[in-house]
Amino acid sequence: MAIALERPRVAAARLKRSRLRRRVGAVLTWVGVAAALVFFLAPFFWIVTTSLKGNEDFFAYPPVWIPLDASLKHYVGLFTRSSGARYFTNSMVISSLSMLAALVVSLPTAYSIARWRFGGGLLSTLLLVLRMLPAIALIIPVYIMYKLLGLTNSYLGLVMLYTVVYIPFAVWLLVGFLRDFPIEIEEAAMIDGCSRLGSLVRVVVPIIAPGMAVVALFAFIATWNEFLFAVVLTGIETKTMMVLVTSFTSGGTDMFYGEASASVVLGVLPAFAVAFMLQRYLVKGLALGGTKG
Amino acid sequence: MRSRVVAVAFAAVAVAAAVLLARPPAHGARPYEGTTIRAVVNAEYVKYSLSLVEQDLYDKLGVKLETEVIPLDAFVSKTLLEFNGGGSPWDLIMFGPSNMPDYGRHFEPLEPWIQKLKLDFQMDDIVPVFAKVMLRYQGKLVSMPYDGDIHIMYWNRPAFERPDNQKKFKAKYGYDLKPPKTWKQWDTAAEFFSGWGWDGTDKKLFGAGASYKPSGSGYSYHWWRSRFFSYGGQYFDKDMKPLVNTAAGVRALEEMVRTMPYYPPGVMLFESEEPKTLLVKGEVPMLYSWTSTGKRVGNRDESVIVGKAGFGLVPGAEIDGKIVNRPAITPGRGMAVSIYSKKKEATMKVLEFISLPDQSLKIVMDPKTIMDPWRLSHLKSPVFRKAFPDADKYLDAIEATFPFLVPDPVIPAADEYQRKLSFEITEALAKRKSPKDALDTAAAEWEKITERRGRDKQKAQWGEKLAEMKSLGIEYHADWAAKAK
Repeated sequence: MAIALERPRVAAARLKRSRLRRRVGAVLTWVGVAAALVFFLAPFFWIVTTSLKGNEDFFAYPPVWIPLDASLKHYVGLFTRSSGARYFTNSMVISSLSMLAALVVSLPTAYSIARWRFGGGLLSTLLLVLRMLPAIALIIPVYIMYKLLGLTNSYLGLVMLYTVVYIPFAVWLLVGFLRDFPIEIEEAAMIDGCSRLGSLVRVVVPIIAPGMAVVALFAFIATWNEFLFAVVLTGIETKTMMVLVTSFTSGGTDMFYGEASASVVLGVLPAFAVAFMLQRYLVKGLALGGTKG
Repeated sequence: MRSRVVAVAFAAVAVAAAVLLARPPAHGARPYEGTTIRAVVNAEYVKYSLSLVEQDLYDKLGVKLETEVIPLDAFVSKTLLEFNGGGSPWDLIMFGPSNMPDYGRHFEPLEPWIQKLKLDFQMDDIVPVFAKVMLRYQGKLVSMPYDGDIHIMYWNRPAFERPDNQKKFKAKYGYDLKPPKTWKQWDTAAEFFSGWGWDGTDKKLFGAGASYKPSGSGYSYHWWRSRFFSYGGQYFDKDMKPLVNTAAGVRALEEMVRTMPYYPPGVMLFESEEPKTLLVKGEVPMLYSWTSTGKRVGNRDESVIVGKAGFGLVPGAEIDGKIVNRPAITPGRGMAVSIYSKKKEATMKVLEFISLPDQSLKIVMDPKTIMDPWRLSHLKSPVFRKAFPDADKYLDAIEATFPFLVPDPVIPAADEYQRKLSFEITEALAKRKSPKDALDTAAAEWEKITERRGRDKQKAQWGEKLAEMKSLGIEYHADWAAKAK
């Protein structure tokens, strides 16, 4: 009888303890998440607010966290005095073209490898080896070659180079998606009158769109952030945003903290915007990858 | 009515034509109208400095400047890559004078153009030490100074003058608290000021400021160099044997390592601006740094020590009762005309124009540039001397420093030698190596560079520099490190 009376009390205590443990766990999780967010976002927050501050606030003590008289004058200075508009446009054009070129070239390559084992395994291995070469090892030969071909300081030269650099990753990623794609669907489309190309464009591409979004995002962000080729192969007409950011932030910023911060914000935002736009596909792509096995 | 309108129109056209013809031809006023000169520099603030003279340049010559910025860390490799490829997209080149041996052959000699175009670079107005060590390649004049980078010492006067501080210091060390003249006094003052509110507050302030980051051609190297040379050091002997790991080098580095706790945390990540900020915010009582620091000291927008700062010579070592000061040229900037330029005449005129005393004064005086005075007339300019409180004292301190300056090792691969040494100095400062081990490694790395570049070739170039340094009174003294006080 005593045992019977004791049981619900023990169960209630256990339930209470478990609830408490869960609550403490949840609180700790949130504290951890908040700490991580502060750790990673605080520097960016500081950069954003510095880009909006007046010169007198850079060194103020106590620090000015949010400027009361925020202004865009450093952004204006960046665009007027430092050719920021030109660099920004260059980065947009080169990143977008490289992204498109990477997609256009890698899709048929991946398709031929996935469907017909084109190259007999050697091609895909070779592509992977290409990816392993560090950029610094390529820079001098590429520079000499480009100089001879007159491709330095041109959009074409940079877009070609970035496309070649990103193809291995793009092909390997797309091969995985295409191998998982049921060939029967393609065959059904062809029975219905589609050509091979038609079935690829009308049937396969819409379904593997998440994979293509990952490729696009990777190509865009990697091109946007690339520095080594951009600094060596560009001239005054084709310099990219990352070169501008570095020219503000390396070797002392002196009194240009505002412009330096504005250049960092502008250097980050487009990649962030593209990632945000493609996020839906990205999550789908990751989820698709997660169910493989 | 109609004929009257036509007559008036004719008259108006005639008057306009007469006015136009009466004006001097545009060609005379702006002889290079329509010409765009491409310049290359290593930071946005250098581009900004050129923008200060752009309008006058256009009004006088009709030339427009298009300035490309290549970030500092990539500048030397990128520009030399272009030059060594047998061309360059630039007409006007900014460069570090210590890299002259690598750049010099790509620069157009100035003397033939001085004669041809009757250019006047006002050479007598250039600070003698810069004229001697910064401008020539194989004996030919090839460049003009643009930035007279040197180190001078700054101190927070109230920190040294507060009676309470003076009393505490005397009680602890037995002599009066004064701005340091020797390294020993510097280190003692740094120890004294470290960790308490020497400004009368409860804050934990720092003992001194410095930049020890090994990036670029190396900040820590510049800070080590002034001690090393005042202890009798020299880069190489006459046979190119490195002397950086001799007693002078080891003593200098040991002192830097020992005094690390008196400097702000993060000093090993500091480039040029961080310690300047600490000085002008009143958080370090003393700093030796670039002369551009003075303009920040006098900038009311950020500085709490406007009119309260002292300016003087970087400390030295007391040798046989006499103080030997060896502040560094660190490393400066020069401007030259590319030998591959297709617009050499116009570029020569531009170089002359931006080097004129009044134009270059605008550049070195602006508080937003970190370009430093390099003409004697800059130091005497009444405008500059009144630009901020005590600007005259600041300019006098710069002038007083010129006779003692030590140049970089201006031989081929100078940048590489400096980077290797700077890296090893930082290894010692981070306590990953002992000072002796670090400098031995640096010396071994220097030997490798010399071998790779060709010992005889390097020796020949160094021989010239050795003679040049001897003429400045800089020689190796093996015994100074032991007897320096």
